[in-house]
Parts: sequence; C-alpha cells; structure tokens
Amino acid sequence: MNLETLAVYIASTLHFALPLMLAASGELVSEAAGVLNLSLEGMMLFAAFFSVWGTSVTGDPWIGLLWGIASGIVFAILQAVLSVRLRANQLVVGIGLNILALGATTFLNREIFGALSRQLVPGFGHLHIPGLSTLPLLGPSLFQQDLVVYVGLALIVAIWFVLRFTAYGVACRAVGDDPRSADWAGISVTRVRSIAILVTGAMAGVAGTLISVGDIRTFTEGMTNGAGYLAIAAIIFGGWRLWPTVGACLLFGGAMALQFQFSAATSPVPTAALLMLPYVLALLSVAGLVGRQVPPAALTIPFFGSR
Amino acid sequence: MTGQTATAVDPLQTTGRASRVRAPDVREPVLDLAGITKSFGALTALSEAALEVHAGEVLCLLGENGAGKSTLCNLIYGVFRPTGGEMRLGGAAYAPADPKAALEAGVGMVHQHFSVVPSMTVVDNLLLGRSRGILHRRLFAEEIRARAAEFGLEVDPWRVVKDMSVGERQRLEIVKCLMRRPRLLLLDEPTAVLPPEEIGSFLDVCRRIADGGGALILVTHKLAEVAKIADRTAILRAGRIVDTVPMASADMKAIVQAMIGRELGGATVAVGLDLAEHAEAAETDELPASAEASGKIPAATKSRPPDVLQIDALTYRDRNGAVRLDEITVEVRPGKILGIAGVEGNGQSELGLILAGLERPSAGRWFVGDREMTRASPAEITAAGVGIVPEDRHAVGAVVEMSVAENLCLQNLAQYTRFGLVRRGAMTAAAKDLIARYDVRGAGPETRFASLSGGNQQKVVLARELTLDPLVLLVAAQPTRGLDVGAVETVYGHIRSACGRGAGVLLISSELDELIAVSDRIAVIYRGRIVGEMPATQKNREAIGALMSGHAA
Repeated sequence: MNLETLAVYIASTLHFALPLMLAASGELVSEAAGVLNLSLEGMMLFAAFFSVWGTSVTGDPWIGLLWGIASGIVFAILQAVLSVRLRANQLVVGIGLNILALGATTFLNREIFGALSRQLVPGFGHLHIPGLSTLPLLGPSLFQQDLVVYVGLALIVAIWFVLRFTAYGVACRAVGDDPRSADWAGISVTRVRSIAILVTGAMAGVAGTLISVGDIRTFTEGMTNGAGYLAIAAIIFGGWRLWPTVGACLLFGGAMALQFQFSAATSPVPTAALLMLPYVLALLSVAGLVGRQVPPAALTIPFFGSR
Repeated sequence: MTGQTATAVDPLQTTGRASRVRAPDVREPVLDLAGITKSFGALTALSEAALEVHAGEVLCLLGENGAGKSTLCNLIYGVFRPTGGEMRLGGAAYAPADPKAALEAGVGMVHQHFSVVPSMTVVDNLLLGRSRGILHRRLFAEEIRARAAEFGLEVDPWRVVKDMSVGERQRLEIVKCLMRRPRLLLLDEPTAVLPPEEIGSFLDVCRRIADGGGALILVTHKLAEVAKIADRTAILRAGRIVDTVPMASADMKAIVQAMIGRELGGATVAVGLDLAEHAEAAETDELPASAEASGKIPAATKSRPPDVLQIDALTYRDRNGAVRLDEITVEVRPGKILGIAGVEGNGQSELGLILAGLERPSAGRWFVGDREMTRASPAEITAAGVGIVPEDRHAVGAVVEMSVAENLCLQNLAQYTRFGLVRRGAMTAAAKDLIARYDVRGAGPETRFASLSGGNQQKVVLARELTLDPLVLLVAAQPTRGLDVGAVETVYGHIRSACGRGAGVLLISSELDELIAVSDRIAVIYRGRIVGEMPATQKNREAIGALMSGHAA
C-alpha cells in the first residue's frame, strides 16, 4: 500500500467512522444513565430522512441539519416517554421504534420524493484549514473534510467535558449505577434519564444527517443499515468509556473502509466477506472476547422510585 | 416548597451559645409529630404517632420488625406522605413532598442500605445533588476534609467507594449528611452492617453530633446501643408509639416488654442486650430448655454416629484467583450446633455458597453423612436433607415476587402436583399450617413474599427449610441479620428444636453473643482460614473475639 492509498484509506476510515462516533458518544450518555436505546438506529434513520427533506425544502443543508437534529429529538422523546416515564421494557421499546422508523421514513420518502427518486440535495461545504490542509498524507484526509465533520468532532469533545466535569455528568453516572442512592440524594432519576435520551437523540440526528446529506446527498430506504446497532456495539467494545468507544468506532470504520481498499486493488478475499468484518468484530466484542467490561449496574432497569 | 421555610439556622454552628445545655424539654422541639397516620391500602403501618425530638438529643426508636420504624423515618424524610396528622420542623409546618424537600429543610437520613454509589469517588458522591454546572472538585474535597475533621472523622475524598470497608462507607454516609449541616439526622439501623469493634466509634460520632446541637433519631434493634447512646427512647409496637422513656430512669426489661408486648426467655433478652452477665446467667440457670438443651442432649448411644457434615480441606479461589477459603476443615455432629464466628467478609459467604451448591470448591471435599457432596447440584443437596437458610434471603432464599404459599412449597413442589398440575388447595392448606406454626405475621398464603417485613420473610424461609423431611443438616448463614429481639428468639427457638430432633446445624454469624448463646462449639474464620475452635462458653468469649480480629490465641 503506497502513501497515496494510505491517505485515501485514512480519509475513508474517518468517513465511515464519524457517524458511528457521533451516535455512539450520544448513546453513551444514555447508557451511563442506565438507558439502552436500541432505537438509536431508528433515530438515525429518522434524521437521515428529515435532514434530506429539510435541505430539499429550504435549499440549505445547515437548516437540513437542524431538521435532522429536531427529528432525532422527537424520536428520542418517544423513547423517553415510553421507557422512562412509563417504564416499559427498554429493549421492546427500542425494537418497536426501529420498526416504526423504517416504516415511517419509507412511507414519507415515497409520498414526498417518489419511490425511485434519486433527487440530490445541496451538500455541506468543505473547510480548508490554511496550512494544515496542504500537509502531505494527513492533510487531505484530516483537514479537507466537510465543515459538519468538525462540528461533529466538537460535539464529541463537549460530551466528554459534560460527562467528566459537570454536575450533570456525575448525576448521569449515579443514576446509571445506583438510581436509588441518586434518588435519595435528591436527584430526579426520571429527569436525568430523559435529558440523557434527548442528548442521544440530538447526536443521532447529527449522525443521521451525515449519512444522508453529508454523504450521498439523498435518502434511500433503510439507509442507516445497522449503523445504530454498530454504535451500540462500539460502546460495549469501549467498555462504556468515551475515548475507547470512539476508538472502537474508528476500528469499525477501518473495517468498512477496507472493503473499498481491497476491491480497488486485487482483493485476496471476496469483498462481500469484508462487508461482514465490522459486524464480526462487533459480535466478538459483545461476546466479551475483547476483555469483559462492566456496564453501568442499572443499565436497562427501569426505576420505580423509592416509594 | 414548605421545606424552604426552614433552612436558615445551622444548629451545628450554634454550639457555643445554646445547645451545650441538655435541658431540651423547655425549648421548642426540632421536630414535632402529632397524630401521624400512614396507611398503605388496607394496611395501617402507623397510627396516631406523636413524637418530639429536641436539639442536642439522641432519640432511639425501638420496635419489632414491621412495627413501623422505617415507615416513620420515611415519612419524616419525605419518601412517603402521611395519610393524616401534622409534622412541624423548627416550629414551622413541615410536609416534604420528596427527599429533596426534606434535605432542603435540614433533615438528613442515613439509610439501612448504603446510599453511596460504589463506582464513584467520595467527592463525586458527596457532590451528587448538591452542585450545578461545572464541578469544583478540589474546593469541595477540602470542604469534605474540614467538615469531617470537625467530628473527628477522617475521609479521603479521592477514594472510590467500592474500595472502602463497610465501616468506612458508613462513616461516609454520616459525613454525606453532615455536609448539608442538618438540624435533624435520621439513622435507620446504621449499625446493622458494622463489625462489633466499629460500633463504639460510630456511636461516639453520634454523641458528638448531638453535643454539637444536632437532633438525632436512631433506629436500632440492639438494646446495648440504646443503653449506651439514647437520651430518650420511643418504643413502637404494631404501628403505635406505646411509650417514650427517658433513659435516666429506664429499665431494659421493661423496654423489651413494651416493645414486643410479652415477656421473653432470659437467654434471648441477654442476646439482645449484648450484656455478658445476662448471657452467663442464662447459661447457668433457669433455662435448661434453650441454650443448654440443644447441644447437651446426650448423643444417645456411645457408638459414635457419623458426622452429619464433614468438610475436608476445602479451598476456594474466586474468579480473580484470590483465595477466599483456605483448607477449611470442620465437622458437625448430629444434634449439635457448630457456630462459625468471624467478621463479615472473611469467607463466610463463600462457604455458604459452596454448601448450597451454588459454587464449586477449587480443592477439598465435603460430605453429608457418608455421601460426598463436593460437586452436587443444589437439588441433590436438598434431596440429601440439607436445609439452607441463605445469607441473602432476597436473592437466593426466596422468589420475592411470588406468594408466601408458593415460596413455602417451592422445594418439594412434586408433593403438591398431580398429573403435572399444581394442587393449589393442598399448597394453601400446607402454607396456612406453616404460617401458624412459624408465627409469620401479617401474611396469608396468597400474600406476596416481598411485602413481608424482614423478620417474617426469614420465618418463611426457615419454615420451608426446617420442614425438609428428613432434615439432616441445617446451614444457616446470618439468620438473624436485621431481625429484632422477638424474631431472633423465634428463629433460634426453631433452630434449637430442629437440633433436638437430631439434625446438625452449621450456624454462620457475625454476632458473637448470639453464637455463644446458642452454639455448642464455635470455630473462628479469619481471612478464609479456620483459626481456632473451642466450646461456646462465656469464658472463651474474649479468646474468640481475639481470633475474630486476627490475633492468634
């Protein structure tokens, strides 16, 4: 592999990894607080559609991004009401919402754009960072991305900061590990968890927008294609810690990028088998073969209050 | 919002001026309860309770399980709201909507269960619910140190709670409350989890808080603590406050009687009192039927029958490879009680799990009678006539969401099925009989197990295990934890009568006085090893205590 293909490989790794990184870091907030959103996939799909619609209506991808975020949050509210307020089983709610998202976006897409439409919407502009973007090798791959990529990275740093250094971050961990103690300390478990899910929804909104408007600039049915589940797997892989989770996303992204690398050159492995690679990695991590990690003690357990 | 009317005064800072003088009755009480009633559906947990607590005093709340002590605390702390009656805090009407309002009003509570998050550091735990926005950990850590030092406590703010010992966690709970400078502190059985040597210093801290002008309500089962710390004692029975006595004029026996509404056997009073001389008296006279009887029924024949339990060099390593049990060797004779004494966490839990068939030993063997059970499943162990009263009755002892009848019959379900169908009628009848025989209160066959109080849950588990037929061996781990004097008496009564019928008993407990009162011999476990075994007499008490704390005799 020469330097040029390596640069392309790094760029495409980042390209595949970023939506996962955003979705996973958002989901990590919820999981830290004890809520598993299987509906992450649906949130992303919802946002992927609404951001395309918003961009198509207004002609501005940034307004499309806002639509995407808003739709992710709306979807998250559904999850929050069902799983936190009504204390329904989180897994059941998640699966149900994913089916709903697939159905709803498919329906709306056919109503609004037509089943066979491949109408392109305007994309995000590129950002050229003077000096850095012309660096050999890393320059084009790291510093000539869509502007929205940097917004996304900034959001991940923001999440790290909130979880690590704010009262809300501590409350999240307390609520996820020992909700009863948190309740006794005067923390509203319901509130902390609901807010966490909304954060997840917003981040999934950005991630979904990246997949549609930020990439192929159109919506196709079921286009998230399991990215939400991969993001959840990345959290397990990363042991419920933010930076290892981001690292896991990069690993999955690298595995996805590999298939293009090989198909471009002469591939020793069938490219269809490479398509499987990120999922195999995810499976291994979920099975605990990559070092067993301890999830938040109250993950997926609804809180019924101390009274 | 009523809570916020009463935040300003900090009693702990007024030390110098007012509250050194302990003449509380002339001053306005910190907390004043009048006619407090609380019902849960048809059940009245508390009726017409009236209580006053003054600054600078420790009020002990005594009562049997289910008498309403925890309910009362939870009402004051805003977890429940009273069905009727009025509460006043510092003279103002007080009706907290939730614990948060109670905290804001200056009421702190140390719960029966720990309320610190194990995975977080001390400083994060104490910041929880007290800070907004960005945290200032360093500043707060200094505040924690300073505040703890005021009461002679030492706390390392940067430690992670799960690395701390039980005693340290308990002190942390107190510091957590003190950080908010409460005017009233509720302590719900705080000493239940403490090893004996920590209880004294814990009570000293309570005294210091009271001397500083704070008001304390201490819920406890241990009469020795009451005798040591209480200024006044309120006694609850069946949801009513039956008496409030100043300790200066208190008579312990009268208190016990007021608490359970009847007289107790002498030995058990002694156990409850933790007072050596009573236990001695019980051992020498008046009670041949209890402590004495169990063991000293002559093993009828001289030809020695086989031991009911033989543990031979049992070793257990946990998942991380740490040695939890190190070549344990003990034997239990039929009709005898062998006590395993030790501070909690020295391998008792692991021993209990192995004998229940829930863990496999790493090395060594164990036998019931002459059958090897080393790799037996729980079902095989039960079939061999081993009754198990597990340490954790919620997780292992019972299915808490099922009814009392179902729990009682769980072990010999085959007896209650015909053609694969459960015979509910027979089950209910059997359950009714057991409920009556084992004095399980407030329960019918259909009552949910989880809704019973701790003592009554334990009676249900005991009833099931003791009615195994044949019962060869009973393994009871901490069977009286969290139980009140009355229930302790019942539990040991049943264990003794099982002994009288020829079963051997392995009794694991960290309550040394109880062990001495009921066991024949005591083996001491320390860091996974049996460090000594001797007859259970008062004379050996000190030696056993020394062994428990790791001093070789």
